[in-house]
Amino acid sequence: MNIFGKKKKIVLPVIQGDGQDVKVRCNSCGRLIDYNTLKENYKICPYCGYHFRMSATERISVLADKSTFDELGEPIQSVDVLNFTDTVPYKKRLADLKDTVGLPNAILTGSGKIGGIQCAIGVFAFEFLNGTLGSATGEKLAELIRFAGKNSLPLVVVFSSAGERVQEGIFSLMQVAKTVSALNAYKEKEGSLFISVLTNPVLGGVASIAMAGDVIIAESGSYVGVSGPRISEYVMKRSLPKEAQKVENLMKRGFVDIITDRKGLKDTIIRILKFQNKWGKL
Amino acid sequence: MKLLPFEKPLEILYKELERRKRNGEDTLHLEELIEKQMEEIYKKLTPFDTVLVARHPDRPQPQDYINALLTDFTEFHGDRVSEDDPALIAGFGFFKGMPVFAMGTRKGHNIHERLKYHSGMLSPSGFRKAARLVETVSHSFKVPIISFVDTPGAMVSPQSEMNGQVEAIYKSLSALLNANVPVISVITGEGGGLGAIGISTGDRILMLTYSYFAVVSPEAGSAILFKNTEAKSRVASQLHLTARELLSLNVIDGIIEEPLGGAQRFKDAVIKSVGDALQSELETLLKEPVTELKKRRLEKYESMGVFTK
Repeated sequence: MNIFGKKKKIVLPVIQGDGQDVKVRCNSCGRLIDYNTLKENYKICPYCGYHFRMSATERISVLADKSTFDELGEPIQSVDVLNFTDTVPYKKRLADLKDTVGLPNAILTGSGKIGGIQCAIGVFAFEFLNGTLGSATGEKLAELIRFAGKNSLPLVVVFSSAGERVQEGIFSLMQVAKTVSALNAYKEKEGSLFISVLTNPVLGGVASIAMAGDVIIAESGSYVGVSGPRISEYVMKRSLPKEAQKVENLMKRGFVDIITDRKGLKDTIIRILKFQNKWGKL
Repeated sequence: MKLLPFEKPLEILYKELERRKRNGEDTLHLEELIEKQMEEIYKKLTPFDTVLVARHPDRPQPQDYINALLTDFTEFHGDRVSEDDPALIAGFGFFKGMPVFAMGTRKGHNIHERLKYHSGMLSPSGFRKAARLVETVSHSFKVPIISFVDTPGAMVSPQSEMNGQVEAIYKSLSALLNANVPVISVITGEGGGLGAIGISTGDRILMLTYSYFAVVSPEAGSAILFKNTEAKSRVASQLHLTARELLSLNVIDGIIEEPLGGAQRFKDAVIKSVGDALQSELETLLKEPVTELKKRRLEKYESMGVFTK
C-alpha cells in the first residue's frame, strides 16, 4: 500500500542544457515533460492526466480572476508551544519554512473574484508541512469563515492537507472544533454557500472540515480519508486499499457532488456560483 | 490482574501475598508494603506509562459508568441510515433522579468483547448515531448530555472510509457544538484523535488522572514523524497528553482524581468520584441559561490555539 509512496512524492526536475530547458518526470507514467508545457497545462501531465501538486500561489493564480485577490488580515504563525522535537526541532522547522516556502502558515486566505463574483477564498499550502492544520492555519481559516459571514460572501476553500499537525499536539486537534464552530455560524446565515474543493490529498480532521461543504467538488484522482498510509501500515498493522479513499469511489458512495479535472475546476465553480439566485444571496 | 511493565516490582509481592493468604498467614504488613511500593511507582509514571494505565483492560469503561451511575438506563440503537454501531452505547436514564442523555464508547474487557465492540473505535454509523441522538436531545428531550470517552481513535478500514468516516465525524462534532443543552464529556481512558474529539466537544471536558487525550496515539505519532513506532514513548512525552498537562494548557476543564494504583484497582471509588464530579458540574451548568452556555462553548473553541504575529 503506497498512496504517496516515494516514487510519487517528489517532482524530479531533470535539468538539461543551460537551465532553460527544464524537464520533469511524471510521477505516474514516468515520461519526461517539458516544465513550461506542464505549467501551461495546469500542471497536468499531457500524456496520462496525472495532476502534479500545485503551490498555494499557483492555485490562486488559476482560481481567482487576474489581480483581484487580496490577502486577508495579518500574517500569523504558529508557536512551538509544546517544545516539540521529532527528527528536527519544530522551532527550526518553522524558521526554515518561513525562508523556503515564503508563507507564515499552511493556508493562503483572502477575498477575490471568481468569474467576476466576489468570494472569500482559502487555499491550503501543501508545501508548508504537508498543509497540516496548526494553530495559525486554523485561526486563518476561521478568520476567513467569519469574514465570509460578515461580508455575505460565498466561501470557496481548496483543501490539500495531510491532516492534523502532530508537532502542535492537542492544539492542532482543537482547530477542527474551532473551524467547525465557525462554519456552523456561517451556515446558519441564509444564503451562505460553502464550496469545498478536494484536491490530492485531504486527510484527517481537515477532511472532516472539508465534508462540511454545501457543495463538494473533487479534483479527479484525489484521495480523501481519515488517515494516511503510515498509520494503517505501522499502527493498524494492515494496509488500507488505495481505492477506499479515492474520490471517484467516494462519489459513487454519495459523498462528493462533482468530480472534475483541474482544467475544468474554475468553470465548474463559476457555474455553481451562478446557479445561486441573486435573491438568495446574503 | 494484568500487571503493566512498570509494575513488575509488585509481581513478587503479589505472589507472596497470595501464598500467605492460601496458608492463612498474617498479611497486614505485606499489604502495607505493597501499597507503599505502588504509591512509589505511580508517583513516577512517565506519560507513556500513563497511556498504558489508560489502556488497562480492567479499568471501568464507559458502559460500566453508565450502568453504575444511571438508573432506568434505556439504550437507543441505530443511525437511521445503515446500521447500529456496537461501539457506541447511547440512551437515556436518570442520574441522581435527573433525566439525562448519556453516550459512550464500548471498548470491551476481554478479547471477545473487544472484537464485538471494535475496541471502542466508532464506525461512521456510530458517529451518525451520536449526531442524530444529540439533535433529538437538543430539540425534543432538552436534558443534559454526558459523553464518556475511551477510544483509541476512529475506525480506519476500507468500509469506514467508503461509508464516509470523515463526514460522519463532522456531523457528530457539529451536532455537539450546536446542542442547546449542557454537554459534559469525561475522558475515562483513551482519548485518541478525531475519534475522541468527534464525541467530546462540550461545555466541560473532564479527565481521569490516568487517562490521555491526544491528537494521535503515541504509536501513530511516532509512525508519522519517525516512520516506525519505536519512538512512541518519546512522542508521548512531547504530545502533552496527560490530564495534568492538558489542564495547565487550558484545554480541559478539570481532573477527576484516581487513587495511586489506578481505576483498575479502585473501580467503585473511581466510579463514585466520577458521579460526584458530574453532579457538581451539572449543578453549576444548570444554573445558567443555555443560550449563555452555548455562547461560551463556541467562544471557548473559537479561541483555541497558540500563534503569534
